[in-house]
Amino acid sequence: MTRGRRVVVTGLGAVTSIGTTVSEFWENLLEGVCGIRPLSLFDASAYRTQTAAEVLDIPDDFLSAADKRRMSRADRMGLAAAREALAQAGLDLSRDDPTRIGVILGGGTSGLLDSEEVYEKWLHGRPARPSRVLNHLPDAITDRVAQRFGLEGIKSTITTACSSAANAMGYAYDAIAGNLADAVVTGGSDVLARLTYGGFNSLRSVDPDPCRPFDRERRGLSIGEAAGILVFEEAEYARRRGATILGEFLGYGVTSDAFHMTAPDPSGAAGGRTIRAALEDAGVDPADVDYVNAHGTATPQNDSAETAALKSALGDRAREIPVSSIKSMIGHCLCASGAIEAIATVLTVREGRVPPTIHYENPDPACDLDYVPNEAREWPVRVALSNSFAFGGNSSVVVLGRYE
Amino acid sequence: MNPVITGAGAVCALGRSSNEFYRRLLAGESSIRPFTPEERGSLQATHVARYDGFSPQPEIPAMKARRLDRGSQFAILACSQAVAEAGYDVSKSPESVGIALGTGSAGAGALTEFLRVLILESPEAAPPFHFPNTVANAPASQVSIELKLFGPNVTITQKDPSGLNAVLFSSLAISSGRARAMLAGAVDEWNAVYAMGFDQVGALRGAKRASGIVQGEGGFAVLLESEADARARNVRPLARLAGIGTAGVPTEPYRFAPDQRAIARAIRGALSAAGAEPRDVHLWLPSANGVVEMDEAEEAVTRELFGGAPTATIAVKAAIGEMAAAGGAQIVAACRAIADPDGPFPPDAQPRRALVNSFGAGGNFFSAVFESVA
Repeated sequence: MTRGRRVVVTGLGAVTSIGTTVSEFWENLLEGVCGIRPLSLFDASAYRTQTAAEVLDIPDDFLSAADKRRMSRADRMGLAAAREALAQAGLDLSRDDPTRIGVILGGGTSGLLDSEEVYEKWLHGRPARPSRVLNHLPDAITDRVAQRFGLEGIKSTITTACSSAANAMGYAYDAIAGNLADAVVTGGSDVLARLTYGGFNSLRSVDPDPCRPFDRERRGLSIGEAAGILVFEEAEYARRRGATILGEFLGYGVTSDAFHMTAPDPSGAAGGRTIRAALEDAGVDPADVDYVNAHGTATPQNDSAETAALKSALGDRAREIPVSSIKSMIGHCLCASGAIEAIATVLTVREGRVPPTIHYENPDPACDLDYVPNEAREWPVRVALSNSFAFGGNSSVVVLGRYE
Repeated sequence: MNPVITGAGAVCALGRSSNEFYRRLLAGESSIRPFTPEERGSLQATHVARYDGFSPQPEIPAMKARRLDRGSQFAILACSQAVAEAGYDVSKSPESVGIALGTGSAGAGALTEFLRVLILESPEAAPPFHFPNTVANAPASQVSIELKLFGPNVTITQKDPSGLNAVLFSSLAISSGRARAMLAGAVDEWNAVYAMGFDQVGALRGAKRASGIVQGEGGFAVLLESEADARARNVRPLARLAGIGTAGVPTEPYRFAPDQRAIARAIRGALSAAGAEPRDVHLWLPSANGVVEMDEAEEAVTRELFGGAPTATIAVKAAIGEMAAAGGAQIVAACRAIADPDGPFPPDAQPRRALVNSFGAGGNFFSAVFESVA
């Protein structure tokens, strides 16, 4: 539907396994650099697999030693990404009303890595420092971002597993369009933890080697971690204050598969419904879509179901446009994946360059679209989709485009 | 544009339907009880409000209940009640009905059990069937599977205002055309490991702490739809969501910010969205939960804004304990009270208006005004 208040993107921040600033992340995406490596954050020797897309050096020098001690890894990554995004957006709280700037993030593991250590000690009957569990709940990062940057508007944390950040962006969009805020810091930060690493391994969903989205020989996902933060603003507000507009958030679709807690609907009907809902919300025809940043986890089920969903919703257009999965480089960053992939999508729209799907060798008859194998491509993009599908059948698709 | 509430559901120690919950609430009953010695272990906390003796039967057959975590069972029952009361036929247009639930603890049981085996035995021994239920969105998703909802499906965790966040998200989903009807509510399950964590970080009231919360559990939901849709279906709404106000205070995620200006901003925001003055509010469902400095700040702002206090008060958390889902319980109680001909309103109150406050640690403040529908 069309609305009076349009929502634009004015700031981006990224902390990933292949770059801890947006420009480093973007250059490495286009180069096809793989961030999936042997896991070092905790001892992975007893797990089925030992690789992950881990962030090796969090750019958190701006935090005091006491802050770093108090904060979880997800907090530090999220704050670093928020700092980069807010610096680019250039909001100025001496002029911009802090009560009209909100924080809506997708959350998941949050301080779980620390809680797991405390829990282990408890299980062995040993005392543990209780302050280590203070960051356990996923809303901690949202409060921290508001605290650090002095934001006093609406706060919310969406916890829909792997579509969390996509839904957070959707809520941010609705909040601005609905005049509850002028700007919202959105996206998400999610880090490696034993629960998620062990969980996806227990479901036999992890490839021991770097994941191969859409390849016939794909064997599962690679788990990753990232923080991706975007500053959304009402378009007129951004123009009035002279902000550089990086792109427009045209709309989104959010639906339930109502199918199964972990398996996607193989027919693609559920995913297709989400894409259609997103296009309708954005007022975009399938023929106007120029690129799809795929969910592309590299599990056998997801990639064929997602391919079917794209064909069902976009028709012939699905075969004419590039579709790529950057999870081949940065892994599946779970609750942050929708944000980091939206950042890549904004940059694709802005620069007309499509990041590749790497590790792609063997075509699969069930995955028969153009997945931009192994090499980035120059390709003009005016409108793009970014897909996120999650446990519980929580599906979300966002539509991003040039601001014109 | 404000949606109306046409059905409500509640599943907690104080009642297994929204009517029973509301009646026992009004009668002044409380489900807060002392811990048994086994439950309490080394906790300094002394009291809890668990739903003892809860059984998902007869609504959920035993075979099915076994693969649902406790929070999902609460959610399925509460949401089914809301749909039934609303008389809403979801199957007519499943893609236009969605769900938004708030929670602070959903997944806790599965998460602590999965990790317990992973840590004490090995990662390979950790039971895979628990992992999908470790996610906070399990209850909302299980509801969507059970009721066959194809519309929006989100879960929100934002301290105490989680439930009001779910209502706000839902109202935006309806006004933006994403859904015709939304189940909105909140769910929490009590968990022994989480209780230990909350106790050790000083959140719980008990032998060593006079200020703090008593933990509860339960599931609460309302069905929201546009007033036009309700009228077209010939359904008389329980209440209307008249307005929501929010305020944030920059502070540590786990610290309380008893900031009177923020509290006033949230309440004024809700009143202004409702087009109402303080004198138009007759019933107050306070956030008060036993955190002394927060309760005092809320009381002070309320007295100042309302020149005393609204005519009637329903203290939900004194009856069912505190949890992220308590906001959902307050919403259900507010709607039942507005729809109850003998409810706690002055006879000339027209429309009847209720204020729900939901304030949490980390500087999170939400208020909402509900009102009767002529």
